[in-house]
Amino acid sequence: MRVTPVIEADGLGKRYGAVVALEGLTLAVQPGEILGVLGPNGAGKTTAIRILTTIVSPDRGRFSVAGVPHTRPAEIRRRVGVVPESAGYPGRQTGEEFLRFHARLFGHTRAGAHAAARALLAQVGLAERGGSLIAGYSRGMRQRLGIARALVNDPRVVFLDEPTLGLDPAGQRQMLALVRSITAERGATVLLCTHLLAEVEEVCSRVLILNRGRVAAEGTISEVARRAAAPRSARLRVPAEHVDRARRALAAASGIERVEPANGQPGSLTATLNGDASVVAMNGGLRALAEANIPVISFELEGARLSDAFLAMTSES
Amino acid sequence: MTATAAGDPPRRRAAGWAIVCEREVRDLWLGGRGLVLSLAFSVLLSVVAYLVATNQALNFLEQRESVNLTLQVAIAVGSLLTLLAAADSVSGERERATLESLLLTPVARLAITSGKLLGALSLWLAAFVITIPYVWFLGRGIGLVGEAIVAGLAIGTLLAVFLASLGMIISVFAGSNRVSLSLGLFILLALFAPTQFPISAQRGWGEILLRVNPITAGEHYVDRIVVNGDGWGDNLSWLVSPIVAAAVFAVAAAFAGARYVRLGRTVH
Repeated sequence: MRVTPVIEADGLGKRYGAVVALEGLTLAVQPGEILGVLGPNGAGKTTAIRILTTIVSPDRGRFSVAGVPHTRPAEIRRRVGVVPESAGYPGRQTGEEFLRFHARLFGHTRAGAHAAARALLAQVGLAERGGSLIAGYSRGMRQRLGIARALVNDPRVVFLDEPTLGLDPAGQRQMLALVRSITAERGATVLLCTHLLAEVEEVCSRVLILNRGRVAAEGTISEVARRAAAPRSARLRVPAEHVDRARRALAAASGIERVEPANGQPGSLTATLNGDASVVAMNGGLRALAEANIPVISFELEGARLSDAFLAMTSES
Repeated sequence: MTATAAGDPPRRRAAGWAIVCEREVRDLWLGGRGLVLSLAFSVLLSVVAYLVATNQALNFLEQRESVNLTLQVAIAVGSLLTLLAAADSVSGERERATLESLLLTPVARLAITSGKLLGALSLWLAAFVITIPYVWFLGRGIGLVGEAIVAGLAIGTLLAVFLASLGMIISVFAGSNRVSLSLGLFILLALFAPTQFPISAQRGWGEILLRVNPITAGEHYVDRIVVNGDGWGDNLSWLVSPIVAAAVFAVAAAFAGARYVRLGRTVH
């Protein structure tokens, strides 16, 4: 049975004067998915979110969110939650007042808004600070309040635009845990825009790379990494006394173009691989090392990671 | 999890404009800005009332003129406060990066700007309430207080609606809050400038200018009722400009609010 995508976009385009913000964005996001949207500055990530959340109109194309076509923007907004990039918060309101206000705008009664605000503050770990002025909140607390605001209408789709921007590692971890809980506990679909590849690798089921307003790649992380066709090499480390033997063993393996000592640590080698069969070739190289009784301390295949794919696909910009 | 909107009885949900207006009024008054502005307004009106009362005691000013002068100042400054609050409404939210979260709600943009406009008008109402005791003190004993208060409320409200709408339109289109506030203030001063015309310049083309300008026309109407004791229907032609300006600019503000409230142009 075919599952209807919760977000569908077809040929979305947006220009600001001569600047192309988005060109032919086509995508389909399945229910319960966490889609990571990657791209350098100016790639069109925020524009894509603003179009899909109906606060910016596209010049071309059509889309639907949660089964609602783009011709009914208020209905779409009723079903989505958004944490905008660098969102501002009214410093003179308390966190609870802020959430109550937004809950009422989404149709809650006063009493319902009060209950929703309390529940959400507890969910994002701000129950103790709900009565404090937002002006006194840290960056991480504001971001968590932003998540709570995005969930105030129990949305089917949540759009997060750089939610960990400016957070320390602990704050980033908390935020990513919240993102996971949105899909796990609420069953909502998440579209996560970020610069941080590690975040995408950690929480996203699929990834979409935007570059200069166009889709550069889309798929699972391994699919995108494979499609990137970035130059591949392997970096490995053997005990320093075995370096020469390791170089000879690797050089003899088929598919390995050359083996050179890597800068930095003693015993480190870089093996440059050739062709599409490079991963298999490296298996042969590792086998050769094992047969020669050379212990491998560490091994990493470069060019197969999302970061390599990202750099390869966006390097022109 | 959270209580959903679907579980609430529909009859108890407030309209979007009312919720936005309520928040604007709360922010304005509980946030302290409205109180500070009202305090400054009171101090100014006290100084004006003291000066006119002194002049009245020295027979430099008739009692009716002193009431009129105080009322004119109250209308001018009260509407200025309204214009400034409206001029901050959209551009201020945009600059503080709080506009996006408002636009992300299902509430229509027209309802958002209407709520903000009504919130801004609360400053005029507060200014007018503050003015009442001053008018009563200066005008007591000659049967003028009631007429003066009604005239001030009617004309002042028309001008406040006109200026708040003007401020809202500027705020919708302004690139920054500073531009919005400066432009609003500049236009207000330009509109008030003709009130300082000498009598000789208030004839012919000068009179047409006074009649077309909603501020001078409105103040002229109040002046005729309070100082000359004219009837309400004697100078109705002077009311055309304030009524038309209030109606046209309110509609224009509604249109601008519904169609042109946008975020800044940034590509990410």
